[in-house]
Amino acid sequence: MTRGGPEAPVLAVAGLAKAFGGVAAVAEVSFAVARGEMLALIGPNGAGKSTCFNILSGQIRPDRGAVYLNGESVTGLSSRAIWRRGVGRTFQITATFASMTVRENVQMALISHHRRVWRFLRPARHYFAAEADALLAPVGMQDQAERAAGELAYGDLKRLELAIALANAPRLLLMDEPTAGMAPAERGGLMALTRRLASERAIAVLFTEHDMDVVFGVADRILVLDRGRLIAAGSGAEIRANPEVRAVYLGSGATSGGH
Amino acid sequence: MTAAALLTVADLASFYGRAQILHGIGFTCAAGEVVVLLGRNGAGKSTTMKSLIGLVRPAQGRVTFAGADITGAEPHRIARLGLGYVPEERRVFAGLTVAENLDIGRQAPRPGLAPWTPARLYALFPNLAAARDRAAGQMSGGEQQMLAIARTLMGNPRLVLLDEPSEGLSPLIVEQMAEAILALKAEGVGIVLAEQNLHFAERLGDRAVVIEKGAAVWAGSLAALAADDAARQRFLAVGVET
Amino acid sequence: MVGGGQLLLSLLTGLADAAGLFFVASGLTVIFGVTRVVNFAHGSLTMLGAYCGWSLISRLPPTPLGFALGTLATMVLLAVIGAGLEIGLLRRVYRAPELFQLLATFGVVLMTQDIVQWLWGVEDLALRRPPWLRAFVRLGGARFPRFDLIVIALFPLVFLLLWLVFTRTRWGRLVRAATEDREMVAALGVDQRLLFTSVFALGAALAGLGGVLMLPDASANLGMDLTTVTDAFVVVVVGGLGSLPGAAAASLLIGLLQAFGIMLVPRATLALVFVVMAVVLVLRPNGLLGRPPGRGGVLGEVRALVRPAPHVLRWLGLAALILAALAPLLLGPYALAVGTEMLIAMLFAASLHFMMGPGGMVSFGHAAWFGIGAYASAFAVHLLAAPMPVGLLLAPLAAGLIAALFGAFVVRLSGVYLAMLTLAFAQITWAIAFQWVDLTGGDNGILGVWPARLVAGPRGFYWLALTLAVAGTLGLRAVLAAPFGYTLRGGRDSRVRAEAIGLPVTAIQLTAFALSAAAAGLAGGLYAYAKGSVFPTYISLGHSVDALLMVLLGGVATMSGPILGALAYTGLYDVLLSATSLWRLALGAAIIVLVLAAPEGIAGGALKLWQRRRPA
Ligand SMILES: Nc1ncnc2c1ncn2[C@@H]1O[C@H](COP(=O)(O)OP(=O)(O)OP(=O)(O)O)[C@@H](O)[C@H]1O
Ligand SMILES: Nc1ncnc2c1ncn2[C@@H]1O[C@H](COP(=O)(O)OP(=O)(O)OP(=O)(O)O)[C@@H](O)[C@H]1O
Ligand SMILES: [Mg+2]
Ligand SMILES: [Mg+2]
Repeated sequence: MTRGGPEAPVLAVAGLAKAFGGVAAVAEVSFAVARGEMLALIGPNGAGKSTCFNILSGQIRPDRGAVYLNGESVTGLSSRAIWRRGVGRTFQITATFASMTVRENVQMALISHHRRVWRFLRPARHYFAAEADALLAPVGMQDQAERAAGELAYGDLKRLELAIALANAPRLLLMDEPTAGMAPAERGGLMALTRRLASERAIAVLFTEHDMDVVFGVADRILVLDRGRLIAAGSGAEIRANPEVRAVYLGSGATSGGH
Repeated sequence: MTAAALLTVADLASFYGRAQILHGIGFTCAAGEVVVLLGRNGAGKSTTMKSLIGLVRPAQGRVTFAGADITGAEPHRIARLGLGYVPEERRVFAGLTVAENLDIGRQAPRPGLAPWTPARLYALFPNLAAARDRAAGQMSGGEQQMLAIARTLMGNPRLVLLDEPSEGLSPLIVEQMAEAILALKAEGVGIVLAEQNLHFAERLGDRAVVIEKGAAVWAGSLAALAADDAARQRFLAVGVET
Repeated sequence: MVGGGQLLLSLLTGLADAAGLFFVASGLTVIFGVTRVVNFAHGSLTMLGAYCGWSLISRLPPTPLGFALGTLATMVLLAVIGAGLEIGLLRRVYRAPELFQLLATFGVVLMTQDIVQWLWGVEDLALRRPPWLRAFVRLGGARFPRFDLIVIALFPLVFLLLWLVFTRTRWGRLVRAATEDREMVAALGVDQRLLFTSVFALGAALAGLGGVLMLPDASANLGMDLTTVTDAFVVVVVGGLGSLPGAAAASLLIGLLQAFGIMLVPRATLALVFVVMAVVLVLRPNGLLGRPPGRGGVLGEVRALVRPAPHVLRWLGLAALILAALAPLLLGPYALAVGTEMLIAMLFAASLHFMMGPGGMVSFGHAAWFGIGAYASAFAVHLLAAPMPVGLLLAPLAAGLIAALFGAFVVRLSGVYLAMLTLAFAQITWAIAFQWVDLTGGDNGILGVWPARLVAGPRGFYWLALTLAVAGTLGLRAVLAAPFGYTLRGGRDSRVRAEAIGLPVTAIQLTAFALSAAAAGLAGGLYAYAKGSVFPTYISLGHSVDALLMVLLGGVATMSGPILGALAYTGLYDVLLSATSLWRLALGAAIIVLVLAAPEGIAGGALKLWQRRRPA
C-alpha cells in the first residue's frame, strides 16, 4: 500500500550487489520507497541489512546496481554528497561526538546543513542553538541537552541520533535498528514519533529492526532479506503467514511477540 | 529463599567518576533460579552487573557469592569463584578463532557441576560447531552472542550474569537462546538476566527485580508482575499503547 | 664495478643488521601489541642490556660458552628490570590516556640516561674480544666476521620461537585475547596483570638480547638508547604495529636497504630509513602486514567533554597577561631572554596541541615546522636581504604551505602511523638541513639573523614575542571554539558520524595541519631572530619531544593545558639544568611523579581539584 502519488519514488534501488571477499553480503536487491512510507527491511543476522544501508548512505560502494534518489542516480557518491541530497541516517552501532554535549551534536549537523563549517572566529555554541533545541524537544532529549554525548544511556543515544538525522530536513531517513536495546515503552514512543514525522513531513523511512512488535506495529510494507537476497515482500499479515520467512527468521514467535 | 541464595547483593552503590549511578541495589539469586533485572534505559542494569563482576568497584554495599564476600574484589578472582559474565556488547575476541575464544574462558571443573567441554557446547550451539576455525570477528551478531555465552560457560560458572542476550538478534535465534538458557537452569546454574525484551523475560524468569534510577523499586515473581497492571504501567510503562 | 664477493658481503652485513633490528623491534612490537603502551624506554632497555652484558661477559671466561651464559643472564636480568618497570610504573597508568603512558616511559628514558652514566661512566665500553670473536670467514676473497653469522642464524630461530609461543600456547592465546580486550579477559578469570607483566618481561629480555649482541661489533655507549628506539619504531611501524611477521619483514627490508644504500648513495644514509618508512606508509597506511586499528584506536583517545573556560580562568589569564606585559619594567635582560623563550615555547606547544588534541593527530616530528619557519626567516635575511617583518611573515607561510602539501599524505593515516610519518618528514628535513651545507651551512648553521633595530634590545624583542605568541595562541584557541574547530573535533570523535552529516573531515584536517604548522613556523621565525642564528638542532627529534612533553605535561583535554605545560616545562628545565648535574634524573623523576599524581596533566588536574570543591 504505497502512498504518495505517481511521481518518482524517494528512493529506488535496482540490482544492488556487494561481496566481501567472496561472500555475497547483498545480491541483486531491488525495491523502492515512496514519500511518507515506512518500509521495514528485516532478516536474519548477517543477512546484509546494514550493508544495504551503508551502500545507500554512501559508506560503501556497491559492486553492481544503482541507487536513485528522487529519480537522480547517486550510485557511488560519498556519504557527504548523499547527505547533501537530503538523506539522514542513524547507525546500528551509535556514532556521536563524545566530547560534545547533546545540543552541540545537533548543532554540528545544523552547521553542516547551513554550510557554516568554514567559520573561524565566532564560537560554535552561538550557531543554531535554538534550532537544535527544537529538534531535541520532539525526541524527548531537551532536558539532557547539556550532558556529554559520551555518557548517555543507550536508548538516549538512539534518540540523539534521530535528532541529528532530522537536522537536514531529510526526504529519506535510514534507521538501522533504531530501537535495539531500548526499553519497550520507549520503542513504541520513538517509532510513533517517527511515524508522525514521516507523514507530517512526507519523509520516506527505511528501517531495520528485530523487534517484531515494532515492525508489525508501524511498517507500511515489509521486505525480507536472507543471505543477501530478497525472499519476500508484503504487508505484515502476508509476511507473518509466509512459511519461508517463518523458517529462516520468525520462528514460532514465542519470545518475540511475532504471533 | 535467602538460605539457599548463591548470590546476595545488599545496598550496592556505584559511581562513574563523580556521578552516582547505583543507589542501594539489593536482591538474591539461588542455584537453578532465573532472576530478571528490568528497567528503562540508563536505569543501571549493566552497571549492577559490572559491579558484581568487579569491573566497576562498588563504593558501598556488600556482595556475597557462594559463601564468600566478593565486594570490591578483582574481576579475575570473582570469575574464578564461579561467577560468569556475558557483557551487553558481547566482546568476543575478534582476531581469535571460535575454538580459541572458548579456550580463553576455560577454567578447572567445579565440584557438583558437569564440566563444560567444547564438544558439549558445540552440541548446545550447532552454529558454533560449523564455525569453530573461523575468526570470531567474521561471525554474525547472533553467532557472536552465542559464542560469548559459550565462552563464559567454559569457566563452569555456578551463576551467570547475562546482559541483554537477546539484543539485536533475530526472533529465531532468540528462541534458540531461550532454550539454551533453560537448559542451563535445569543444570542448576543460577542466572541473572538483564532484559528489555519482555516476551523473552517472561518466558525465562522466575523472579523479577525492577531497577529505576539505580535503585531496586519492585521485586517479586514474574507472574505477579504480569498480574500487577499498576506496577507494569508505573515501572515499565507497558500496556499504554497497543 | 661491484664484484660478486662484495655483493655477498653487503647481503650478509644487511642480514646481520636486520637480525639486530629484529631482536629489539620484536620486543617493542610484542609490548605494544599487548599493552598498547608506546614504549619509548625500549631503547633504554637495549642500552641497559648492552651495559649489563658488558659487565657480565667481561667477568666470565672469554669462551663461546661464557658469552652465551652472559647473554642469557643479561636477558634474565632485563626481564626482571622490565617486570619491575611494569609493576612499579606502567601498571599504574594503564587507565590513563595512552599518550600519558608514552610520557611516563619518556621519564624512564631520561632517568636511565643518568643512572647508566652514574654506574658505568661516560666512556664507551668495548668488549675485549677473544680470538673466537675476532675470527673471520672467507667469502670469495672478502672477509666476514664469524660472529655475525651466528647473529644471522639467531634471527630465524628467535622469530620461529616467538611465533610458536604466540600461536601455539595458551599463554600466547591469552596474550592475544588481552591485546583486544583486557577487561573481558579478566572477567573470564584470567589474571591479566600477570599476563602484562610477563609480556613486558619478555619484551625487555628481547631488548637485552639485542643490546648484548651489539657489543662485539660496536660498544656500549650513552647514545644508543635514542638511536635504537627510533630504528626499532621505524621497523615496527613499517611492519605493522603488533605484527611479529611484519617486524621480521621490515627488519629485513631496512637492514638490506641500509647495507646496499651505503654502497650506492653514501650521502643518503642519514635519512634512508625514514624515506623507506615514508614510502611504505604512503602506500600502505597500516604498514606492510598490519591490520587496520579496531575498536579503541591507538593514541589520542581524549574524549572528555570540552567546556568553555570558567570565568575565573579568563580573569586569571588576563591578570597573567598584564603581569607579563609589565615584566620588562621589573626584570633584567637574562630573565627577559628566558621569558622570550618561554613565550615562543608556549606558541610552539599550542600549535602542537591544536593538531594533536582536538585534531587527534599526534606528531612526533613537530619540530620540522618550527625549523622550517626558522630557516625561512634566515633565508629571508641572507638570500633576500629582507627586513624582519618579511622574515616573520615568510616563516609561517613557508611552514604552512609545505605542510599543506605534505599533509595530504599525513591525514590519510591515524594513530602511531601518522605520528611516525611526521617523524619521518622531520628527520628528512633535518638531514637536508644537516647535509646541504652550501645552502644551510650544515652543522655550523646560519648566523647573523638579527631583529630590526626597533626591537633589537631584550625588552623590545620580549614585547614583540609577547604580542605575536599571545596573538597566535589566542587565535588558535578561538579557531578551536568556532565551527571549524568543532568540526575538527567531530572528525576525531567519530569520523563516520561526521561524514554522515556532511562534514568535510579530510579537508578540515588538512587545513588544521597547515594552520598548526604555520603557528609552529611563526614560533620558529621568532626564535631565529631571538637567537640571531639557526641550526639543524631546531629540527631534531629532541626538540619534537620537547613539544610533546609540554603538551602532555599541561594536559591534552583542556585548551589552557599547552600554555601551562610550556611554561612549566621550560621553567623546570632551566631550574634543574642550573641546579644539578643529574638534571635528567630529576626531570625524569618529576615527569613520572606528575604522571602518577595527575594523569590528566597540570591543567586537567587543576580543573579536577576545582570541580571537586564545587557541586556538580
Ligand atoms: N566490512 C566487512 N568485511 C567483511 N565482511 C563483512 C563486512 N561487513 C559485513 N560483512 C559480512 O556481510 C554479511 C552481512 O552483514 P550485515 O552487517 O549487513 O548484516 P545485517 O543483516 O545487518 O545483520 P544484523 O542483523 O546482525 O545487524 C555478514 O556475513 C557480515 O559478516
Ligand atoms: N562509562 C560511563 N561513564 C559515565 N556514565 C556512564 C557510563 N556508563 C554508563 N553511564 C551512565 O550510567 C547510567 C546507567 O547506565 P547502565 O548502562 O547501567 O544502564 P542500563 O540499565 O544497562 O541501560 P540500558 O538498558 O540502556 O543498557 C546511565 O545514566 C549512563 O548514562
Ligand atoms: Mg545490521
Ligand atoms: Mg545496559
